[in-house]
Amino acid sequence: MADTTFWQGSESYLCDKELAQAFHMSRVLGMPLLIEGEPGTGKTELPIQYAKDQKLELFVYPVGSKSNVDQFVARFDHVKYLRDSQIEILNAQREEKGLENKLTTGGRDTEALADYVIKGPAAQAFSTPNSVLLIDEIDKAPREFPNDLLYALSHRKFIMPESGEVIEVSEENMPAIIITSNREQELPTAFKGRCVYHYIHFPEPEIMQEIIQKHHPKIDNKVVDVAIDIFYHLRKIGLERAPTTREILNWLKYIKQFSSSDAIDKIQQLEGIGALIKTQTDLEKIQRTLFKSPDDYRKRSMPN
Amino acid sequence: MLATLPERFREFGLPADVRTLLLLQKSMQKGLVKTLGDMYQVLKSIIVKDPSMMGPYTRAYYDYFLNIDIQNGERLNDAILRSETFRKWREDNFDAIKDIEDDLDKLVNQFLDEVHLTSYDIKEIIDGRDIFDNDDPDLDDAADDTDSDGIRESKLDKLADYSDLSLEELLERMKKVADRMKGKHQGGSHWIGTGGISPYGHGGAAKGGIRVGGTGGGKMARKVLNDRKFFPVDMDSLVNDNNVDAALASLKGVIEETAEEKLNVKKTIKDGLKRGGLFLPEMESVSNQKFQIMLLIDNGGYSMDPYIHTVRELFKKMKTRFAHDLETFYFHNTIYDRVYTDQYRTKPLMVERLLQKDPNYRIFIIGDASMGSYEINRTSIETYKALTKKFKKTVWLNPEPMKYWKHTLTINFLGQLVDMYPLTPKGIEEAVRGMNKRRD
Repeated sequence: MADTTFWQGSESYLCDKELAQAFHMSRVLGMPLLIEGEPGTGKTELPIQYAKDQKLELFVYPVGSKSNVDQFVARFDHVKYLRDSQIEILNAQREEKGLENKLTTGGRDTEALADYVIKGPAAQAFSTPNSVLLIDEIDKAPREFPNDLLYALSHRKFIMPESGEVIEVSEENMPAIIITSNREQELPTAFKGRCVYHYIHFPEPEIMQEIIQKHHPKIDNKVVDVAIDIFYHLRKIGLERAPTTREILNWLKYIKQFSSSDAIDKIQQLEGIGALIKTQTDLEKIQRTLFKSPDDYRKRSMPN
Repeated sequence: MLATLPERFREFGLPADVRTLLLLQKSMQKGLVKTLGDMYQVLKSIIVKDPSMMGPYTRAYYDYFLNIDIQNGERLNDAILRSETFRKWREDNFDAIKDIEDDLDKLVNQFLDEVHLTSYDIKEIIDGRDIFDNDDPDLDDAADDTDSDGIRESKLDKLADYSDLSLEELLERMKKVADRMKGKHQGGSHWIGTGGISPYGHGGAAKGGIRVGGTGGGKMARKVLNDRKFFPVDMDSLVNDNNVDAALASLKGVIEETAEEKLNVKKTIKDGLKRGGLFLPEMESVSNQKFQIMLLIDNGGYSMDPYIHTVRELFKKMKTRFAHDLETFYFHNTIYDRVYTDQYRTKPLMVERLLQKDPNYRIFIIGDASMGSYEINRTSIETYKALTKKFKKTVWLNPEPMKYWKHTLTINFLGQLVDMYPLTPKGIEEAVRGMNKRRD
């Protein structure tokens, strides 16, 4: 029986209530959860932390531009199969010549085709009841990829290549499937229709405070306040690539090595801003809006 | 029952259909929908498939379930304040909310809290109540009409009952709401009339000292309505800074690639036979269809001036996305025997050279195609014919509004030579689709 209790995050992961609800819903309905939202808002963290917290097995499939369903579900290893069948012939020849030692196929039997099926994360997750399957950044996949998944998602069934073995899972044992996307490409409507959809809103400052608390529990609240202040200000001035949760957490990781008063000073001086701002144009924009002289800025942009 | 839901949500441009209802029903059977707030969340997860649908969805939801019709650009608060539903809620809950009766903002917040109260919130309240009872008995005083613990308990029982509300009961309630929509006004039968939207009936949540909302669904609804990001970009307006991303999203449609390794059977057999029957697998990678774009931009002439900024913006974004696969050339009004590699049109490149490129190139010609008809001579016509013959995937994007096209001779004429689409997000999308259909 799959875990369908309501999960609200763990010690190290703050799960926003709406997300928690959508996640719960997806598990109860046995549908995949499709999460979209700005980069760095914890999309990928959800399944990782959930699996960790609930001690479930996690299967991850990071999607790239070369992804295909074979890698995701299962593929037949023709190379190994061919090699092993050659070995059989060789062994027979050796036997004829009276040679004792045999070449080994590593326990694989060429008669059993299933030995040559290499299972991908999907097949593994589907054969492990109550597991977690993460399909990360599906928008990076070639266009056919999501469409090829449709059958498996709606029928909860995979058919293994060559061996014909069927991996099927009941609705109750359906793994919790989480799919993340950065919206670099539109997903097909039919695909979205089979998912529970959730768009992560950027956290409000109060929530951000809690998130930071979870990650850097030792930082002085005053320091966090100042940092959050500047962070949200930077998000507002219309940068090309506005800093996100991940960035502020990294920034504070750098800041936290200083004592509180030093830290506030350093934040106000925008020290180590490279952790927050990722493009040259944005840096220039901040330089124009926040600092008067370029020298001043240059000095500050480089820590120490 | 909820049969009218898809139809009415479709009016807001949302993709609701029979499947929506089936999924909703399944969710109800699984006990996911116990309060109106749950309904909001569940339906949202089913219907909304894009952030730009959140705004319309919220409006549709308020309209359908609460009979609150939010005008374009109106703040949620204002829409609530002028609604009949709110007035009724205020009357029915007079006792419970008299403390905050004068503060409209607080009233609306309270209202929103109740609308968006989910069963998860209730669970949290119940969980929280233990702490509440044990840790802080003083707060009891804050609750004015719960004199004894007995009443309190019964309230909580009621709350628990509510979360076990059967499907039938819930549907019954919704039916009543739906009836009301049709104009059959049935007095107190509205959801809000019948014991309130919230299981407490009379705003118990706030009185118990545990405030649920303000940070919950209500706030989100407000945010969604106030942010353009959550409304669809007008797909027919000219490409501008705001919808350039939408335009590019459809442009992404031109990417096609497959990449896998395959066993080369022919080679394996051939080489295996040469080796005297020892077959070694020969793998080959399936060739990727390369994605190459060529932009031919009309950057001269007075008539293109109003669009230069737009085109440049589109171009800039394209450049960042397809950095390695994008080539840009410039021309003035129409292409003769050469294009230019620089914006100032000083470095010419003969069209012959262009024609030697890989036929898989996709060509976007961007220009208004408006000029004196004498400017299109034989050379120019030959060039377009040669281009479309060599590069099957060639389209023309025209920033000139489509309604003027038929009045301009040269647009008509060039439109016959090259497929022409308007330079709008929708136009680009259609152009890309048209392009994909044409396979040599």
